[in-house]
Amino acid sequence: MSRIFITGMGIISAIGNDVANNRQSLTQGKSGIGHSELLQSRYASILPFGEIKISTTDLKEKLGAKESGITRTDLLALHAFEEVIANSQLTEAEISSPRTALVGATTVGGMCLTDELYHDANKQDQGSEYLSSYDCGSVNIYLQKRYQIGGIINTINTACSSSANAIMYGARLIRHGLADRAIVGGVDSLAKFTINGFNSLHILSNELCAPFDENRKGLNLGEAAAFLVLEKEEVTGNKTKYAALTGYGNSNDAFHPSSLSDNGDGPFLAMQEALAIANLSPDKIDYVNAHGTGTENNDLSESAAMIRLFGIPPAFSSTKAYTGHTLGAAGAIEGVFSILSLYNGELYAGIHFDKPIPTTGLRPILSYEKKEVRHVMSNSFGFGGNCSSLIFSKA
Amino acid sequence: MFYIHDTICISPQTSYTDIDLGKINGPVENKLLAKEPSYEGIPLGILRRMGRAVRMGVGAALQITKQNLDGIIIGTGNGGMEDCIKFLNQIIEYEEGMLTPTNFVQSTTNAIAGQIGLMTKNKGYNCTHVHRGLAFENAIIDADMLLTENSSAKYLLGAVDEISAYNYNIDLLDGWFKKEKLTNENLYDLNSAGSIAGEGAAMFLASKEKIGASAEIKAIHILHSDNEQMIASELKKFISKYTSEEKLNLVLSGENGDNRLQKYYSTCETQLPEKLAIARFKHLFGEHASASALAVWLSCQIIIKQSVPKHLLKFPANNAGINEILIYNNHKGIQHSFILISRVDG
Repeated sequence: MSRIFITGMGIISAIGNDVANNRQSLTQGKSGIGHSELLQSRYASILPFGEIKISTTDLKEKLGAKESGITRTDLLALHAFEEVIANSQLTEAEISSPRTALVGATTVGGMCLTDELYHDANKQDQGSEYLSSYDCGSVNIYLQKRYQIGGIINTINTACSSSANAIMYGARLIRHGLADRAIVGGVDSLAKFTINGFNSLHILSNELCAPFDENRKGLNLGEAAAFLVLEKEEVTGNKTKYAALTGYGNSNDAFHPSSLSDNGDGPFLAMQEALAIANLSPDKIDYVNAHGTGTENNDLSESAAMIRLFGIPPAFSSTKAYTGHTLGAAGAIEGVFSILSLYNGELYAGIHFDKPIPTTGLRPILSYEKKEVRHVMSNSFGFGGNCSSLIFSKA
Repeated sequence: MFYIHDTICISPQTSYTDIDLGKINGPVENKLLAKEPSYEGIPLGILRRMGRAVRMGVGAALQITKQNLDGIIIGTGNGGMEDCIKFLNQIIEYEEGMLTPTNFVQSTTNAIAGQIGLMTKNKGYNCTHVHRGLAFENAIIDADMLLTENSSAKYLLGAVDEISAYNYNIDLLDGWFKKEKLTNENLYDLNSAGSIAGEGAAMFLASKEKIGASAEIKAIHILHSDNEQMIASELKKFISKYTSEEKLNLVLSGENGDNRLQKYYSTCETQLPEKLAIARFKHLFGEHASASALAVWLSCQIIIKQSVPKHLLKFPANNAGINEILIYNNHKGIQHSFILISRVDG
């Protein structure tokens, strides 16, 4: 079976507008979470957020997105998409080839436009320009149209594991000969909808999130977009191969609609399956980019699953302390961070951590390190019990 | 590709039990609303919290998940839209006050597959495809890949979408539904923009096991384009690659009465073998993102019964049996799919 390589990355998040700036923040241990400047919500001044400090109007201007009905979610996706295309040096012909797939993920879609959606869903008079922009599919339909992408197009929503599943689906399309190349990733923008949703579940922290810390108080929401170009070996030419995607697993925790089981069945099974696909034993994993949201429930369940799988877990940290939890984008941005770790031979520090959870004793790595890294695991778990795990390996 | 065993459908028609496609249930205020069963398999406390899409999806799926399954693959354009806007309305009306999370948790589009996994304790593969009018088609592609990876596996494959007052309003404002008074009879003849709203859930057991199968999904092709010539030429290629004039007996056309989309169906018809029977289904199920899943269920029924209800036919069938059915569906003029379904020999 031919190997699947990552030949391009594009990202925008609270810690940078491109890959280089994201990496710089990670190496410096610099979080992007803090006071929001753009968000319109009563929680804007009360809770910290991982906000991208470019207004929707400026994004439109910068990207030349003049179509009507374009949302912030579309624009963040477009921003990362432009970078990934340039980074992988894809030509127009390659993008429009029927052998090029697009698999994106989002959970919010155009629902970031709360007031417009409220009006359009409830009022009989003239609709807004966003009538076709609310659903999850709209983001990738927009990218397809703008770039005339010619192959299979899909959108996945498995809550917070959405873009890990998009990466997995793209890799499988290549494995099965349904595409030679798949542009895969995800996006979510900050939205009153998700802020109020997570707030109603009492899992938003009013402090900076502290993944795996004994006194963690919950998650901080963030916004981001990221894409990867996955290519089968035969079409990579002499492009830079940043990493290989070698493993993926998807499993359901089947425990509760909005929380994970204490022993982490779903996370355990997803990680175990990813190792089996990659044909690796647990001890070969050098670094785990954990889901690590900073909620009481996730970090405990994920720790239990890591202990079950690894015995003594390898170096791990959660980069959500830098970006916030970016929901449908999380699997994709953390995919980029995992690849940067492999490609540059470095591990990113867990920040805002003080004391380990007494029952697990697990400590994330606490300082930036240069280190030879051969295999990285990236975890993403979501509501509905949707758990996924990916393994990236040195190219 | 793979075989379809059990098929369960909750739709505006008599499709769940005592299936009767001879008589047609009409729209209420221009909406083809699903005839929901009493959902005896779902505990009342859980049922009460479920929105319409979750209820229909889970209710249909539970009839299939009595089997031991390797995973759950669901397509939905909007998921629980009603819960979603209910929650959104509370955000606005209570100015982001303290809200209850039930609607929020039910509104995520993966709540259907998640709930099925939870209720059946299924820890296998679980995925929700939400690519609007091609959500179910991507679920089919996913199922096909999974069954190629593990040929002894069995998966729940299905799709569901609901009419809520809210998505109906959004699509009405966007011009996708007709404003004239609609009946099952006049839908195709009004020569105006828009179609009729519909909803439903169709669930299937998918496996590589031929014995006892109801039908086979033989091929699928999806594309995004607004160019009818390109769609028609892709259709021609699809037919010559996967079927033949001898084997293909029926086309199920996604025609929906929207005169702006008629060019796609008319141009595609010019590529079909002469005298091929053409049937339509949107007067039964309405227009929605999961309509093609209901068309797959209908194809299975036609293959099992070896007859096409008369009111479906646009061009009549010859007397030969039904071996292969081609579904051509088009969602909002930009998302297109061809699905080939075949009778199982022996």
